[in-house]
Amino acid sequence: MTLGEWQIVWFTAWVSALSTLVILPFGLALAWALAWRDWPGKSIVETLVSLPLVMPPVATGLILLKLFGRRGAIGGFLHDRLNFDVIFTWRAVLLALSVMSLPLLVRSARVAFEEVNPRLEQIARTLGSGGWRVFFTITVPLAARGIVAGMILAFARALGEFGATIMVAGNIPGKTSTLSLTIFQDVQIGQDSSAFRLLGVSVVLAFAAVWFSEFLLRRKRKTR
Amino acid sequence: MSLLLKNISLPLESFALGMDVEVRGRVTAVFGPSGAGKTSLLDLIAGLRRAPSAFIQLDDRVLTDTAKHFSVPTHQRGIGYVPQDLALFPHLSVRQNLLYGCKPGGAAGRLFSFDHVIEILEIQPLTSRGVTELSGGEKQRVALARALLASPRLLLLDEPLASLDAPLKAKIIPYLTRIRDEFRIPMLCVTHDRSEALALADEIIVLVNGQVLQTGPVLDVFNRPASADVAAIAGVETLQAGVITDSHEGLATVKIHGATLTALAPATGTREVFVCIRGEDVILQRDAAASSVRNRLPARIMALRPEGALVRVELDAGFPLFALVTRPACAELALREGEPVTALIKTPAIHLVPR
Amino acid sequence: MTSERTKDFKPGVFRKAYHLCGRLVPIILKPAADRKIKLETNQPGAADVRASGGILQKLNDMKKTLVCALLLFTVARIQAAEISVFAAASLTDSLKEIAAGYEKTSGDKITFNFAASSTLARQIEEGAPADIFFSADEAKMDGLEKKGLIDTATRKSRLGNALVVVVTADSPLQIRSAGDLTNAAVKQIALADPKAVPAGIYAQAWLTRQQLWPAIEPKIVPTENVRAALAAVESGNVEAGVVYKTDAGISKKVKVAYEVPAGDAPAISYPMAMVKESSQPDAAKKFLNYLDSKEAGDIFKKFGFILRD
Repeated sequence: MTLGEWQIVWFTAWVSALSTLVILPFGLALAWALAWRDWPGKSIVETLVSLPLVMPPVATGLILLKLFGRRGAIGGFLHDRLNFDVIFTWRAVLLALSVMSLPLLVRSARVAFEEVNPRLEQIARTLGSGGWRVFFTITVPLAARGIVAGMILAFARALGEFGATIMVAGNIPGKTSTLSLTIFQDVQIGQDSSAFRLLGVSVVLAFAAVWFSEFLLRRKRKTR
Repeated sequence: MSLLLKNISLPLESFALGMDVEVRGRVTAVFGPSGAGKTSLLDLIAGLRRAPSAFIQLDDRVLTDTAKHFSVPTHQRGIGYVPQDLALFPHLSVRQNLLYGCKPGGAAGRLFSFDHVIEILEIQPLTSRGVTELSGGEKQRVALARALLASPRLLLLDEPLASLDAPLKAKIIPYLTRIRDEFRIPMLCVTHDRSEALALADEIIVLVNGQVLQTGPVLDVFNRPASADVAAIAGVETLQAGVITDSHEGLATVKIHGATLTALAPATGTREVFVCIRGEDVILQRDAAASSVRNRLPARIMALRPEGALVRVELDAGFPLFALVTRPACAELALREGEPVTALIKTPAIHLVPR
Repeated sequence: MTSERTKDFKPGVFRKAYHLCGRLVPIILKPAADRKIKLETNQPGAADVRASGGILQKLNDMKKTLVCALLLFTVARIQAAEISVFAAASLTDSLKEIAAGYEKTSGDKITFNFAASSTLARQIEEGAPADIFFSADEAKMDGLEKKGLIDTATRKSRLGNALVVVVTADSPLQIRSAGDLTNAAVKQIALADPKAVPAGIYAQAWLTRQQLWPAIEPKIVPTENVRAALAAVESGNVEAGVVYKTDAGISKKVKVAYEVPAGDAPAISYPMAMVKESSQPDAAKKFLNYLDSKEAGDIFKKFGFILRD
């Protein structure tokens, strides 16, 4: 593996990790809201959150491109007011990875929250804890395994993201080249050996991530 | 302490909970069959549930007033709650559970010191353990201590003894009485077990199908049930205070107002007891012939009250004693007011409840 | 002329096929016919049937027509070829127009696969079923020729192109020379991937010759093919792009800011050839000849290509 290839691996890894951290507060908030009883609009939000899982990734990428491009609703504002560009920068990679991996985190975390005994949260309140304290001292610790498993899945998904990424970030060497984009390009230009090396790294990373996530879930089931 | 529960109206699955009471005693039992809405009532008081209509005031502080759309959030009510399943936090150690409700700022803000509470409830050796390693009785005490350490102004207990077996019940009751006596916290206990009510409460609220049927001091309500429904739930015709004078080989000698009875000795070595005798267990006999029954009390018939196929006989055996006999039996023995009879009560039928 | 020939051919084929059917049907259907006669002789009224041997005759006729139709269909299909053309993205509009006209007169069907020439070359190497390869640079064609995948006899380079710098139609940017691309106002420049795609390779070569490549390289946004670079400029997400003059010509959302003079950039050449493994060599060669014709040339010129005949 050349230095350049390792740099691509490193870039992919840290952007994926960052995207997992970025989606954590949104994901937990969404998961908790969806674990609650019914509220108006819940089914719509549920469906929206699941869309990136089900839609073709390039379709999701296209929507992001239109939204965050310089002429888009959000991108236009960012470009004109804050001179801040998203498309074709590493921030677009972060955006694509976040959007595509969010549904996985929300699903796992929601199930974990639903399994927390509400009585425990109620008693915590009688002991004087306000909403936030109950959430962080009771709900999240009890849902921790499911949440962590969700984070790992989200990370693994981010590592392998392609369709949306290529739409919004392109494959700019040194700036937005991720593992999957580079494998694709290497095959295009006939550099198969490089492609296979990167493929090997992808497989190892994905295997480790999924195995660890399953391990955590198994441990959780054992202690019940 | 005064707890006002007014205009309460809460629809539940098969009936609606409706109340309009003032709770005053040190320990009040909410007594009624399972599913009468008792847990919902506790949830309402603690602020864990909302009702379409409710006015709840604790001492001088209004906690809920639906008319004004006002409700103090649970965590600001200062009401301790020990639910039936105890709800100990499994991911925290015993010590962390205990300290969970303690306000920061050390001992100053607390009503009871940490050491005092764990001493009274005898849980010092448990503090470093994990919650899942505790036995049933230990969990109960930890849950109680945890609620106390949050400095509540009122303690709600949901069936505190229901999930315990008889020996354990007997062990826990002294702790509860200690809480009542040492910490002087007003308590509201929900129970469907009359022994629990007897053992713990001063006042009792009888709740059946969401409606309050009777309130008042415990003995009054049990002795003079206002209606057949209450009587059915109380389930006891004769209820008297007594003193155990002797306990020997599992049998205890109980004195009630001069009459002496032999009963099974209770598990704990208490001397002051309530004596409960069901009317069905009292046999009437014209003469004092020998039999296996240990308790043969001379008595005089005070009143006869027909109740369908049965007749309720009120006797004076040195203390008021009730018997239930069939009408034909009554006719056969020619029972009449003022006549002397012998009341036979089998030893195992006399139920002693420590008080 | 070829078209008249095909018109005459069909009726002749039909006649032949019909007579062939006439010979085949009794052979195929003889056992069935025998069975039918046997059945009918054993039943009452068999005499009537035997008398009306006409029914059998009609049955035979129907079956004859059916087999005929089947044979005819197959033959007709073999006659009208379908050829697959792998062509550089920049040729999209011009080739489509040329093919539309060709299909009407020849009866053949042309299907296209437009992409970056590098992608197409790769696909042909992997065995994709192409009949003709029309590349945007000689290098890709050379690569395939070295691997023996091209029918060298059919190889011809007829078209040229020019490079232009495009900006959005409403852009205030002024690009008067290659050097202007180094201005701070130009933050990002879209190019077809200079590692592989001809348009990008030409652009890089141009900028290298002007000794501006190191300064401009950090601003480059590489795209999948030259049309994608055009789209990037159209969307406004990049300030400028380097595409073919022919691409700029078909888009209303961009304008040409600067045309690269012919001497500054390497010569752009579009070779076309038949793929050796083609399943339709005759039809492919026919189309290649047409692409070399005056009619096709006129269309190419219309779109802005340079003819080097």
